Amino acid sequence: MLRLSSAGAGVAIDLPDGWDGTITQREPDPGLSDIERASTPSLALLHAASFSLPSDTSDFGGGAVEVMRFGDVFIALFEYGRESVGTALFWSPRPARLAVGDFDENMLQHNLPGQSGTQQFFTESGRAFCLYVVLGSHLNRARAVPLVNSVLPSITVI
Amino acid sequence: MVAAVVALSAAVALLAVLVAALLRSHAEILRQLHDITHGRSTADAEFEVRTRAGVPTPGEGAPSASDIVGVDVAGDAIAVGVLRREHLTLLAFLSSGCLTCRTFWDAFASPADLGLRRDVRLVVVTKDPDQESPAEIASLAPPSAPTVMSSSAWDDFGVPVAPYFVLVDGPSGAVIGEGASAGWAQVRDLMNRALADTDVLDGMRTRGGRSGSRDRDADIELLDAGITPGDPMLHHDEPIEDVEVE
Repeated sequence: MLRLSSAGAGVAIDLPDGWDGTITQREPDPGLSDIERASTPSLALLHAASFSLPSDTSDFGGGAVEVMRFGDVFIALFEYGRESVGTALFWSPRPARLAVGDFDENMLQHNLPGQSGTQQFFTESGRAFCLYVVLGSHLNRARAVPLVNSVLPSITVI
Repeated sequence: MVAAVVALSAAVALLAVLVAALLRSHAEILRQLHDITHGRSTADAEFEVRTRAGVPTPGEGAPSASDIVGVDVAGDAIAVGVLRREHLTLLAFLSSGCLTCRTFWDAFASPADLGLRRDVRLVVVTKDPDQESPAEIASLAPPSAPTVMSSSAWDDFGVPVAPYFVLVDGPSGAVIGEGASAGWAQVRDLMNRALADTDVLDGMRTRGGRSGSRDRDADIELLDAGITPGDPMLHHDEPIEDVEVE
């Protein structure tokens, strides 16, 4: 296990051996004025993958999911702005674990044949997040979901 | 009467010798069965790699690698996995200050011209931002290979000088080649020699006609299917039933 953490983003995760991971601080809404941006905290974006993450991986895995193979998994934790906290979509707490039934081939940001995904919206520590997970193969979900569940509890939101 | 006793004693002695021989034969059969079921063959047991005095036995005491964690050129946290990967990882320990490193920074700007094997992932590692010039590293970092600023990685791999290169075998997690170099051609030679040595040693150790690269191919396929070392599926005697999903 390797601890990857970012004090600036306020997020940390324990990665299994051989996993890639990044935690970046995203700029808040680019439409904000300079004054508004200065007073708005940056937002966290966490990527974790059982495969080599390309350097041009987009927020929801574009550029990475295309190179996923059968046994691979991709996890993204995307933080939304403060205005989302308390809204109905983010009302739930973070799921302790995911079920095989949570994964659907039609729940992908980038629809690729054979893959499946899940999106879970939640609030934790007063911050609104979307947990997005992609499996390299929906057929392999019985093996891949326990792997995802072995990593999820280690995600810490400060 | 005396003749009968002598004959009987001789028969008992002969039978005792036969029983002892049978027990010894049985013990030998059990020993060989144990070796076979635990993955050792008699040929392997007799096989030994010998080197000259002072030269370490290949493969013995090979340093093990570790995953790399640090920050990228933007200051964000990044981890790069090198263990339990199906591919090789070439770690290039570079600095922004050394003149020789400039050769490699320039070469890495055009990765297509490097002639790297498809199963080799290039990762550039520099020291921490407080020991480097982050702005300079940002301007030099190759666009298509991760650049990790991590002094702890330099310590973990015992890097003595820059530029320095370490080749890690993903499936075994072992460092199979390392050294300083003044040019990319030398690094390619280093890699090719390390890979050739690994293949030869694998082939010598398996001795069954299977080459090291074939073993590695099989490992890649198994890992690709999510089957890792120790997986119960590798030890089933009976057909595996379909896994029931929720």
